[in-house]
Amino acid sequence: MIYFFDGSKEAFLTAFLLAYRDGEALLTAGEKQLSIGQKSVFVRADPAMAAKCERRLLELDKRCMDDLSFLLRSGEGMRGQTAFLYLRLIAQRGRPVRGELAEDAVSEATECIRRIKLEAHRLKGFVRFLECASGALYAPVSPVNDVCDLLLPHFRGRLGHIPFVLHDVPRGKAAVWDGAHAFLAPLQHAEIVLSSDEAGWQALWRRYYNAVTLPSRARLKQMKGYMPVRYWKFLPEDPAAAIGDLPAADASANAGGASANAECAAGRALHAPSDAPSDAPSDTLPVKGRAPSPQAARDALPPPHGSPRPPAAPAHP
Amino acid sequence: MIAEEKLKILTESARYDVSCSSSGSGRKNEGGIGNGMPDGCCHSFTPDGRCVSLLKLLMSNDCIFDCKYCMSRRSHDVPRATATPEEICSLTVDFYKRNYIEGLFLSSAVHVSPDATMELLVRTVKLLRTKYRFHGYVHLKGIPNADPLLVSEGAKYADRMSYNLELPSERSLKLLAPQKSKESLLSPMLRLCRERALFQAEKRKGFFLPAGQTTQMIVGASPERDGCILRLTESLYRTAGLKRVYYSSYAPVVEDALLPSVPSPALREHRLYQADWLLRFYGFDVEELVDEGEDLPLDIDPKCAWALRNMHLFPVEVNRAPLEMLLRVPGIGARSAQKILSARRYTALTFDHLKKMRVVLKRARHFITANGQFCGEEHAPALRCLLAAGDAAEAADAPEQLSLFAAGEHTPVQLPLFAQDAARSARTGEL
Ligand code: SF4
Repeated sequence: MIYFFDGSKEAFLTAFLLAYRDGEALLTAGEKQLSIGQKSVFVRADPAMAAKCERRLLELDKRCMDDLSFLLRSGEGMRGQTAFLYLRLIAQRGRPVRGELAEDAVSEATECIRRIKLEAHRLKGFVRFLECASGALYAPVSPVNDVCDLLLPHFRGRLGHIPFVLHDVPRGKAAVWDGAHAFLAPLQHAEIVLSSDEAGWQALWRRYYNAVTLPSRARLKQMKGYMPVRYWKFLPEDPAAAIGDLPAADASANAGGASANAECAAGRALHAPSDAPSDAPSDTLPVKGRAPSPQAARDALPPPHGSPRPPAAPAHP
Repeated sequence: MIAEEKLKILTESARYDVSCSSSGSGRKNEGGIGNGMPDGCCHSFTPDGRCVSLLKLLMSNDCIFDCKYCMSRRSHDVPRATATPEEICSLTVDFYKRNYIEGLFLSSAVHVSPDATMELLVRTVKLLRTKYRFHGYVHLKGIPNADPLLVSEGAKYADRMSYNLELPSERSLKLLAPQKSKESLLSPMLRLCRERALFQAEKRKGFFLPAGQTTQMIVGASPERDGCILRLTESLYRTAGLKRVYYSSYAPVVEDALLPSVPSPALREHRLYQADWLLRFYGFDVEELVDEGEDLPLDIDPKCAWALRNMHLFPVEVNRAPLEMLLRVPGIGARSAQKILSARRYTALTFDHLKKMRVVLKRARHFITANGQFCGEEHAPALRCLLAAGDAAEAADAPEQLSLFAAGEHTPVQLPLFAQDAARSARTGEL
């Protein structure tokens, strides 16, 4: 039987109880193609069942809910199942199983948690803020895992009194620090008016990035290992264009990653050349109540670097 | 806002400094902007595979010295620029705010005089800490022959300072950097080390280089062998308390009869980093790795080379070997060793288990048994060929600076030797 749930902890724990004795159980919060004859059920959260389940599991392993909260952040299709198999093993053994890496369920879960923590760690470096006219900072992000709120304390600590928004664009939500309070809020589209200096600082940063590169040594595989291409689309330094500046032999093997931008308006705002048509005036960025305008999108544009190119086209066909 | 062209000149002259690490500072944000992240943080990576963590700039590239290997030397015809303290400060803060960087790495050519340059650097950092209330990371370069009082003043505001040794012997320095001497580089290093120890012992208020000191050597511009370089490295770690020694492959950026006309192979630099890592985190002594007048082998990594010379110690049984020995197995890095320690508490590990745990066995299988089973090559010459062939592929994209994210073999581990600071070192790659 396949148990669909909405991704929340309560629904997961409810489904866990229902599926516990089902040898064929598959828990998933994503989409799953059913094969012929396969049965499925959509599990709704039952607070009483969930609380009972949580209490029991905590008796067996007092850190297991921390593990669960990470596992449910996973953006991978199998996230429900990885958590299910891991917690079921705890229940079957009646004790913590952390560290028993020769067990599939444990090594899967451990790896999954490691990847989520790694992504949160990487994003502390790869998030890029845009400065709004109000002085607030806005960063669009597109993480694989649901990690935005994990980043809040980090940026709060360093930015102090400056308000900021971390916008998880694909999930349509934001982690917000308004200078006094931190909270999470749904946010589909953001419209922002950028500060007058923003484009200038971005241009300087791009200039710095290109100047600090040692042209004689292309090590693109390493570069992409440390900074996977999926994180490039909101980087004003535009690594894809920088690769384009290298000798053709090196760049040709890597054109695959170059088209990373333009999945959402913020990505376009960062990378599109300024004479490109602003095709999405209504979903450019906010911070506080200005009417969306094509002008806002154009304000967000840095001066073109190199020859203008359509936003979605690879830099090096 | 600093002019783009000036930024370009001052960045291009600074990029041969390898260090970009931002670890070791736990500074808090006290009512301004920025704080330290003890493990450091990489903000971007350039197409040459290097991490961008700090805004790495020269204050000035207008030098009165004439080091043969340097782009900024007096006798070389390049565009010159000098920044003002305000320009540097506002650039740092605006980049930091946007999360482009973790802080500032401020270096300089010797502009006007050593004292004038050091004074300018110190003034800039002071301004950044006071007027701009910036508490992010600052790495400050020491200027040789500058007044020690100025240097100590800088140490109160910077997180880390460094004097680059550049060349591993006095003779090479005389030849290639005539205005510098070993004394002018080593003695400020040792003095800062003593002052820092005193500061810590007396538990004084404020800061004094919380992230310590580092240095850098150019490899391949002068005739010193790896054995000589690594002995110097080991003594720097032990006597000057350095956090890290960086190596930079010589590249002919300027022409001079005294300099080689070909670049030093990146692979040599890579082997030095590997050996350096073994010294600091894997419990090796330099004597075990290479003789003083020798180079490290290029075809296999130093750990493999050591293991091949010590085949009588292998194979080791993964279910029983102590951590120190596991770490000496070629191909088993810190993370794998930790996984093995953890998993073997519950079950007797087999090769299947190791695979499932994602322990890379390509090299390791020749040096271990798992639950009594051995599935490697015993014949030593054949084994050397196998290892070299495997290594050739990996070395092609050898990292020149091992980063926090570098996986497996490069991640250091908690050794009993370094009990206290080991956990941090394990994350940052620094002592
Ligand atoms: S002191 Fe020597 S190495 Fe430093 S900038 Fe001047 S010439 Fe270059």
